[in-house]
Amino acid sequence: MKRNLLTIITGGVLLLIFFLILFTFQVRQAEVAVVTLFGKPTHTEDKPGLKFRFPWPIHAVHKFDQRIQNFEDKLDESQTADSFTLVTSVYVGWRISDAQEFLPRFAEGSIPEAERVLEGLIRSAKAAVIGKHQLADFVSTDERQLKFAQIETNILQLVQEQVKAKHYGLELEYLGFKKLEFPPGISQEVFKRMQSERAILISKIQSEGASQATNIITTADNKSAEMLFQADADATRIRALGIKESADSFKVFQQNPELAKFLANLKALELSLGERSTLIFDQYNEPFTLFQNYTTNAAPRK
Amino acid sequence: MSDSPDHSHSGPGHHHHHGHDHDHDHDHDHGPSTPPKGPPAAPPPPPSASGDDAGSQALAEALGSSFVIVRLLMIGLVALFFFKCFFILGPQEKAVVLRFGKPIGVGNAALLTAGWHFALPFPIDEVKRIPFQEIQKVTSTTGWFFVPKEMEDAGNDPQVGPNMNLAADGYVITGDTNIVHSRAFLSYRIEDPIRFAFDYVNATNAIQSVLDNALIYVAAHSQVDRIIRDDVAGFQDRVQARVNQLVRTYNLGIAVEQCRVESRAPLYLKKSFEEVNNALSTRDKMRNDAKSYENGTLSRAEAEAAGRRSRAQAESVQLVSQVRADAQQFLDILPLYQSNPDLYHHLLLAEKIGQVLTNVQDKWYLPQRTDGKTREVRLQLSREPLKPATSLNGNQ
Repeated sequence: MKRNLLTIITGGVLLLIFFLILFTFQVRQAEVAVVTLFGKPTHTEDKPGLKFRFPWPIHAVHKFDQRIQNFEDKLDESQTADSFTLVTSVYVGWRISDAQEFLPRFAEGSIPEAERVLEGLIRSAKAAVIGKHQLADFVSTDERQLKFAQIETNILQLVQEQVKAKHYGLELEYLGFKKLEFPPGISQEVFKRMQSERAILISKIQSEGASQATNIITTADNKSAEMLFQADADATRIRALGIKESADSFKVFQQNPELAKFLANLKALELSLGERSTLIFDQYNEPFTLFQNYTTNAAPRK
Repeated sequence: MSDSPDHSHSGPGHHHHHGHDHDHDHDHDHGPSTPPKGPPAAPPPPPSASGDDAGSQALAEALGSSFVIVRLLMIGLVALFFFKCFFILGPQEKAVVLRFGKPIGVGNAALLTAGWHFALPFPIDEVKRIPFQEIQKVTSTTGWFFVPKEMEDAGNDPQVGPNMNLAADGYVITGDTNIVHSRAFLSYRIEDPIRFAFDYVNATNAIQSVLDNALIYVAAHSQVDRIIRDDVAGFQDRVQARVNQLVRTYNLGIAVEQCRVESRAPLYLKKSFEEVNNALSTRDKMRNDAKSYENGTLSRAEAEAAGRRSRAQAESVQLVSQVRADAQQFLDILPLYQSNPDLYHHLLLAEKIGQVLTNVQDKWYLPQRTDGKTREVRLQLSREPLKPATSLNGNQ
């Protein structure tokens, strides 16, 4: 009896597994499945979980990755409105938005096939949008003049419209430039221009250095002279104050101007006759009046 | 086994007593190990039948032992089955268990962290591991030149050809339509692992593209000299700001930790850019020399000005003191002088002449001639010996 029960359970489990394999399928997170009835798409399952199906060949299930695919196109050349050639490459984030549309458009819903088609659309859109813009819209030192982000948005919108119109069952999440260069010939021209700009810059820097140095030196000299001039003015003022302060003392001398003058003369005499001076005097000068009675060299030369 | 369906006796411990009647045929199996003790009452069974029994028994025994092995194997397999249901997550990874494809739990609750976890075997459950290093890195070399690794490690630049190799050497165009090499190193953390793993086929590629774009975009409105020399940090900050903006727009589920940008002049123009740097160094040196002269001149002028003021102050003080001293002297002398002016005049003059004559180098006494005529005196005023001519004016 026990053995029979075990057999029944085993049989039941095997039957269940067999049923699940035949009649169900899984849709994993971030997946979308298209169910076809005798090859014709009937419905889409985009919620994860276990789903019912009739066994093949009644139902067939085609699963797709619903996550964002990152695609980069190849470098290609486009002309700007002012006839500059730019070499560009963009990256695109795209995803399958309608698997039922996507499946028949590309062989067995092939992602590489979808990206090949997408690359063609991007190339056309890039050429169309870049052709409407000047080089200064791509590169400019004035950020307000730059239309870089707007150009990216325009290309994205154009590709999006194409994809929608042709019912590819996919949508673009984002698009941006991955490379932006000049063609090799233009690059060489840019190098030459840069080289001459460097030479101009060097001469500008050199003259700038000399001019700045001269300016600094002149300013310093002027400032220095001004400081000394100011100092002299201050000194004169200080001396004047000293004279003013000593004016009270001068009044004393008015008591006897004769004595005052005599004392002043004595002082001047002392100050003026230093070590390297020669004094010539005769017998009429004090105190040499003492020599008046001596005849020494008073007599004239014969 | 016995052929008889009625009854069979097997086992070595089963013994028959043959002294009674039997209403059935005997076909006893006494076993090879228990030979009959007495003389056999019936003829021994045919040798072939006896061999089958032995074989069956051996088979039964073998099957018995096989069942034990199978049972053990089954238990082992069941144990292994349950053991395989457990999995370990390391500290640098997270995981989501999908049951029939659907995550168990919603949002971050579905996210399993480091440790032991249980999941039913595939295809019921599926463990989706998400690499979750603390800091992840991406490098953008879209604007950088090709350099072999060993050459870069040695700090050498590659040889420059007559033309730029567009296929191998990348660059970015600057706002002043110049060309510059630039590369960026981005460090980031995954903030939203579910979005990172389930919304992007390859989120790392998307981040790489974002970094490339940020470099091109910011360079497109920056001046070449600011990128390379004058505003390196500002350029780097603007690249990081652009990366942050795109990460938010694309909802990449990451947080930028750091963005380092390195920029170089085109290898082709390396010499020209070095000459500019030299000119800048020379300019700076000239400016520094001038600054140094300025500092010296102003310091000297300041000191001289202070000295002049100070001297004036001292002279002023000296004048006041001197005048006061003279006035005092005047007042001291005045009464004596007034008492006999001639005497004091003479005394004071004689004293002063005495002092003065002590200091005077030459004293000439030239009395008037007795005949009343004028005496002619010739003096050589520059009496000191001439110094050797050291100056160009030579007016000595």
